[in-house]
Amino acid sequence: MIISPDSQAILLLCSHLATSSSIKHAPLTLREWNSLARKLQFLSIRPGALLEISSDELKRLLEIPEEEAKRILHLLQRGGALAIELERLASMGIHVLTRADADYPTRYKQRLKDSAPILLFYAGEKALLGQPGIAVVGSRHLDEAGHACAEFVGNACGRSGMVLYSGGAKGVDRISMNSALAARGTAVGILADSLEKAIRDSQNRAAISRGDLCLVTPYSPSAPFSVGAAMGRNKLIYTLADYAIVVASDTEKGGTWAGATEALKSKWIPVFVLNYPQMPQGNSLLLKKGAFKFPHPFPENNPNLKEWLESHSTNTKSEPMQPNLF
Amino acid sequence: MGNLPEGKHYDSIEKGSGMDNKEYTLHLLRQMIGNEKNFRPGQWEAIEAIAIKKQRALVVQRTGWGKSLVYFLATKLLRDQGAGPTLLISPLLSLMRNQIQMAEKIGIRAHTINSVNQDEWARVEEALRIDRCDLMLISPERLNNEYFLKQVLPLISGRIGLFVVDEAHCISDWGHDFRPDYRRIVRIVQMLPRGVPVLGTTATANNRVVADVQSQLGPGLSIYRGPLVRENLRLQNIRLSSQSERLAWLAENLPKFKGSGIIYCLTVADTERVTGWLKKKGFTAEAYHAGNDGNINRSALEQAFLNNEIKILVATVALGMGFDKPDIEFVIHFQRPGSVVAYYQQVGRAGRALDKSYGILLSGNEDDDIQNYFIESAFPTSQVFQEILNVLENSEELSLDEILAKVNISKSMLEKALKLLEVDGAIGQTYNKKLLYFRTPNPWRLDEERINRVLEVRKSELAQMQAYVEYRGCLMQFLLRALDDPNPTPCGRCANCQGKGLPNVVTQGLIIEAENFLKNNQIVIQPRKQWPNGLSPNQKRIIPQEYQNAVGRSLCYYGDAGWGKLVRMGKYQDGHFSNELVEVSVHMICNLWQPDPFPTWVTSIPSTRHPHLVPEFALRLAEALQIPFYPVIRRTKEAPEQKTMQNSTMQARNVMDTICIDQIIPRGPVLLVDDIIDSGWTVTVAGYLLRKNGSGTVYPFTLAQASTRNGNA
Repeated sequence: MIISPDSQAILLLCSHLATSSSIKHAPLTLREWNSLARKLQFLSIRPGALLEISSDELKRLLEIPEEEAKRILHLLQRGGALAIELERLASMGIHVLTRADADYPTRYKQRLKDSAPILLFYAGEKALLGQPGIAVVGSRHLDEAGHACAEFVGNACGRSGMVLYSGGAKGVDRISMNSALAARGTAVGILADSLEKAIRDSQNRAAISRGDLCLVTPYSPSAPFSVGAAMGRNKLIYTLADYAIVVASDTEKGGTWAGATEALKSKWIPVFVLNYPQMPQGNSLLLKKGAFKFPHPFPENNPNLKEWLESHSTNTKSEPMQPNLF
Repeated sequence: MGNLPEGKHYDSIEKGSGMDNKEYTLHLLRQMIGNEKNFRPGQWEAIEAIAIKKQRALVVQRTGWGKSLVYFLATKLLRDQGAGPTLLISPLLSLMRNQIQMAEKIGIRAHTINSVNQDEWARVEEALRIDRCDLMLISPERLNNEYFLKQVLPLISGRIGLFVVDEAHCISDWGHDFRPDYRRIVRIVQMLPRGVPVLGTTATANNRVVADVQSQLGPGLSIYRGPLVRENLRLQNIRLSSQSERLAWLAENLPKFKGSGIIYCLTVADTERVTGWLKKKGFTAEAYHAGNDGNINRSALEQAFLNNEIKILVATVALGMGFDKPDIEFVIHFQRPGSVVAYYQQVGRAGRALDKSYGILLSGNEDDDIQNYFIESAFPTSQVFQEILNVLENSEELSLDEILAKVNISKSMLEKALKLLEVDGAIGQTYNKKLLYFRTPNPWRLDEERINRVLEVRKSELAQMQAYVEYRGCLMQFLLRALDDPNPTPCGRCANCQGKGLPNVVTQGLIIEAENFLKNNQIVIQPRKQWPNGLSPNQKRIIPQEYQNAVGRSLCYYGDAGWGKLVRMGKYQDGHFSNELVEVSVHMICNLWQPDPFPTWVTSIPSTRHPHLVPEFALRLAEALQIPFYPVIRRTKEAPEQKTMQNSTMQARNVMDTICIDQIIPRGPVLLVDDIIDSGWTVTVAGYLLRKNGSGTVYPFTLAQASTRNGNA
């Protein structure tokens, strides 16, 4: 794995790899990096150039206080341990993308702008990230209709060459993903749980080695599941896809609700909600908030689910591309 | 910090001119090794390249040249500049005490983290936490160790000031010492950002290896290479075909040396045997090998040897790189090593600080057999790799024992295969109470080209070593040419240059004595105390004391000089063990071993493949011992030969499934006879059944012990 100097610098400054909670100089937050990146862009300096800069130059060029310059230099000196950790990850099949990489999904940059994650860790076929596809979201516990819906969408994706996007967790995620893969389709799981753990699952491993699956996370590959991570991750599911289908949602609580309301508000993509008489209360509330109806029974006879979704939704606003912020 | 005032050296660094740095560094060097000392050619240049210019450098210099000075001094300069600690990656377990003391003279605090010093980890981690560790020594394996990566590295916030790759020739497939872990080091170095200095060091790299290392570590690598000649070393080759002749030679010639020395053997069994002989002849000698770390504390042996409490260390290659005793007078090889480079390295331990030292290469008949065995067993077969991957693909994670229970290969071969698969990224490891392996999603195929290349290199090295033994010209010059020394001239000191040396013939009487020693050499069979892991999930592993065997004996090593050849002839040519073997067995049991209480009856391990061979021998042995023979153990079905079972679990299961006792047996202590003991599981299971059925103490006795499996350690 060859890492460009730009990505190297970004990793050194922002990643939590090979750090501990007690360290003196914490890696840059998203906001801190954005502000630094903007300065660099203004000065026409590539991030990689930071690798060979002296502390005086840094202070002068960036007009930052002594303390901040020290922190940046300190972070940039982590190259040794970072190389060791990246090598270990690569030998496990885990790789990294930064916002400075050409392969970083443009949909994140377009739709999330400054809040696009600085780093993505992934295992599997990275070309899948941002390919046309449908996101399936919903709680882990499903009734019969929800289960059938997850299977239906997964299968439809698989047969029509669409990527099935999900959170890669149990329940609706796993059901829809398996059915997409079973139909010889492809899937992307955007994880809020440890990527290192997920690649040890034999189903995942097999799909990854076939090139049918990519698992990706903005968090450190060994970080365990956390609610905060799941919340922060939701938008990364929506913003990679063309359409989203919410299978089952709680009301006013839980990740599905939070993610769906955020998606409706941000209008990244059309959001459908499974609509049937015994649907969870969250589903009907989301419909009231403007989500499109996904019928039960499902639109089975339609040859291509994407066309059906297209004809049953109105276009969301298309965002103008802003200059790339690495 | 020594006696240097804090401010002064800081100033000299700040001025930044090469001269000031050099003066300051020379000052430090003198603090370390003495006031009259100066840089050796190349030392300052290498230090400057890494510590001042932050470049990458490879130092190829003979042992004793002062490579450690380069990294200690560079570490000091870098630390003065505020850099993080140096990471020294080396196959050594630890730095020698004198090296640490030398480093301490300039305030360099060196620590080690390895698998055997766990009690020190907390102290080392604390030193890292408060930035009081300037140099940390780790093995290449540690770079893939979860605990190290997650707990130790973060303590320095990832700041590594300098990477030192010791024994850098291991990076190259063309090197004599293939270590898969070094491929990981290369990948790490390739991922290092600009500005992190890297230093590779080696004493032994020919042109091809240097070029290969350079291509892998990057074109910016500067090379510092010096002459390899050892001016105080007298080389001599002596060919004595049998072991008894060589043992006799040792006994006759060792008294000529006043100082201490090393005798290198190729196998663990040979180190034990040579040590036994030397002790019998009144020398203070100890065996040193990696085979049984539990019983032999290697660092205690090293220390005793350093203090000259032990005159002779009889060692395998386990006594290796980095062992630094300046006053070794002789290095004798009891058998011929596999390559010129290995030989040069080993013989180079002699006389680093002496005016005169000796490197004697004895070689004999068994050398080629052993070397060929090492080459043949160097790599697992592609089928073995595939079986391991299949097993891992069908589960989330498995321990070593769990894999052994499913794949019929030896533990050491499995370890080799796992290491290669891991470096290739096909499998990963994690720790959950024990070490676990899992299949990664990375695609994998056997790199047969690489394996064949390594094997070809080994074969040509062996051929070169065979040529060395026969060489009539200057021996040092031969070695230097093989190592691509820039200026190989005749040494004028070796036995060939001088036309004289130590005698290459031995007194007949001593040879006979050595022969007798080999014949009477008692080989102990230690009882197994635990069933292997993974044998059955619910079975308790401890074998109850009352069902364990007593300590037993083997007459010889299979195929060895001494009785080993007679055993092989009996088993595979005559189908009958000779009366001579009965006689020496009686002699050993009654005069040397004298088990107490003495067995009151004899039984034997049955075989359907050779139904009469062992019982017939056991019957004659029983008659000679004047006690009855009862063949009470029965084969239920023919098992595959035990030697085809490659690991403990498979072996024990193989025996359990196929032998039983279904009759009433005598109560008294019993001599349990078999022809060849390999893993020991056959006699363990048989002994267990005998005790369960009411026998007294079970004494295993076998004609021979298979010795190949614990070779090369």
